[in-house]
Amino acid sequence: MIDPQAEVSLATRRAAAVTQPRRSRQRRLRPWLRALNSTVAWCVGIVFAFPLIWTFFTALKPGNEVFGQHFSFIGSQILWSNFADAWNAINFGRLLANSLIIALISTLLTLLVSTLTAFAFSRVRFRGRNGLFVLFLLTLTLPSEIAIIPLYLGFNAVDLTDTWTALILPGLFGAFGTFLLRQFMLQIPVEFEEAARIDGASTLRILVSIIVPLVRPALSVLAIFAFLGSWNGFLWPLIILNTASKWTIPLGLAGFSTMTGTQWQLLMAGCILTVAPVIIVVAISQRQLVAAIGAGAFGGR
Amino acid sequence: MASITPTGSAPSATGALPPGFRHRRVPGGKSWLGWILVAPGLIGLVLFIIAPLLGSLVLGFFNYTLLGGGAFTGLANFTHLFRDPQFLNSVRVTAIFVAVYTPLNLALSLAMALWLKSWVAGKAALRVIFLIPALSPIVVNAVIFRLLLQQNGAINETLAGIGVSPIPWLSDGNWAMVAIIMVSLWQSFGYNMIILGAGLDSISPDVIAASRIDGAGPLRRLRSITLPLLSPALFFTTVLTVIGAWQVFIQVYIMTGGGPGQSTETIMMYLYATGFTFNQLGYASAIAAVLFVIIAIVTLIQLWGQKQWVHYD
Repeated sequence: MIDPQAEVSLATRRAAAVTQPRRSRQRRLRPWLRALNSTVAWCVGIVFAFPLIWTFFTALKPGNEVFGQHFSFIGSQILWSNFADAWNAINFGRLLANSLIIALISTLLTLLVSTLTAFAFSRVRFRGRNGLFVLFLLTLTLPSEIAIIPLYLGFNAVDLTDTWTALILPGLFGAFGTFLLRQFMLQIPVEFEEAARIDGASTLRILVSIIVPLVRPALSVLAIFAFLGSWNGFLWPLIILNTASKWTIPLGLAGFSTMTGTQWQLLMAGCILTVAPVIIVVAISQRQLVAAIGAGAFGGR
Repeated sequence: MASITPTGSAPSATGALPPGFRHRRVPGGKSWLGWILVAPGLIGLVLFIIAPLLGSLVLGFFNYTLLGGGAFTGLANFTHLFRDPQFLNSVRVTAIFVAVYTPLNLALSLAMALWLKSWVAGKAALRVIFLIPALSPIVVNAVIFRLLLQQNGAINETLAGIGVSPIPWLSDGNWAMVAIIMVSLWQSFGYNMIILGAGLDSISPDVIAASRIDGAGPLRRLRSITLPLLSPALFFTTVLTVIGAWQVFIQVYIMTGGGPGQSTETIMMYLYATGFTFNQLGYASAIAAVLFVIIAIVTLIQLWGQKQWVHYD
């Protein structure tokens, strides 16, 4: 990740530091200031993380101690069995399987559609391309949640309500993926493609063997976003799915949370089970996610 | 490879291709091929995004129910809507939410993005912490805050420790709105922080160094250099945050159900209840159409207003 421009600017800064020694010394924080700055920043971070931390400890408490007499993270006993109980009470195994299958199908189809569209917009010239691209651009700012009623009526008309087909289809065509991939594809030198064409490769062959491998980092970031989009979705699943055995995790949690006499410790265990994969994914792919959110910003969500 | 093009504009590889090809920047692209490649994306976009949105506008003119079908009623839904106190209340509630939440969100994410530019140990881990709620299901975040904000929940217990009497977070209208805004901020400011952080990273250090040499202090630098250079990113995040804020739904659905009374019933909550609890789909579509127009107007005002404060290079 060595960026030549960053190198240059670093050199310029060093040069500036040589000519302006006094100011440069002022600029660098003193060690104790750095330590103070870091400590305060981490305090803010911990306060910010408090809801999740509290959720975790609540998930381990006995049910009658969720709202204790005293503010305390740990109850009279630590019940890891709450996780097993939550698994059974919320029917978590079923919800998890449903959410995973739906998210995987959504992700694969989103990648496929976005790759084809981005390839056409970046590497194939055709009549009407620019106009079409502006159309895609405009849909990014459309408030899509407003359209749920006609969407519901459409699926009702073709008798597809309460199906995963209706759940998955509308989520596949957001233009975000197209933009992200197009940005990356535009950076691939035309020479690669020309060389392959001279060797007799077809356009599809070029897409599969040259373009796709080169944009793999962008594809994996898009995969994460598509997966999370499906994993986190709530309003559309709430409207389109009736049968509890078809529900996704957010629907199951919401359903459990509105039941009378909420068993908070089990609900929190369910929340931890839901968020854990998200935390792992974010922690592992932090750098790529941050870069993609920054890069996709000007064509992004 | 021997033939040399007289214009000389297309050297190297194109030499091997038939003469007609050199006018195309990307060789081999036939027009129909491009359309075939975009077809799946385009059809999906039209069927599942554009058509439903237009459908929302059209359905507003019908008196539509799921079983009864629809009859054209002209402007009746809309005239009824503007005299419907529950709808007017939902517009007021949502407008208050947008007006308070948006500036707070941007101020917090900007402050945090600036702070993380300074020397902080374990910056990457901190970023992960701030990003987790933004990528978690909103349902989970809302459920967690419902626990924290119970009358005898952790937040009131903490406040009791410093002598503050319990706050009726979810049972008082004004506090419920504060609660919705809190969870919304927690949920989404990490995302904006990353976008603004990327904007800050793209500001050339030379410009900062130059201003330093000219003797600009930190505040002056922020006001005269950093913020103007960051304004495109600020504009972008503002527009998208506002569009999202007008559609606030899940937090309200989980935490308050629109209550107590109708004090947190946002437009999307009212739309959902009208359409899917009371099966008045035509009337709900009229609500959707009005919300769409509100968002369009607000966005256009921002697009027009950006000339005043957004600087593009």
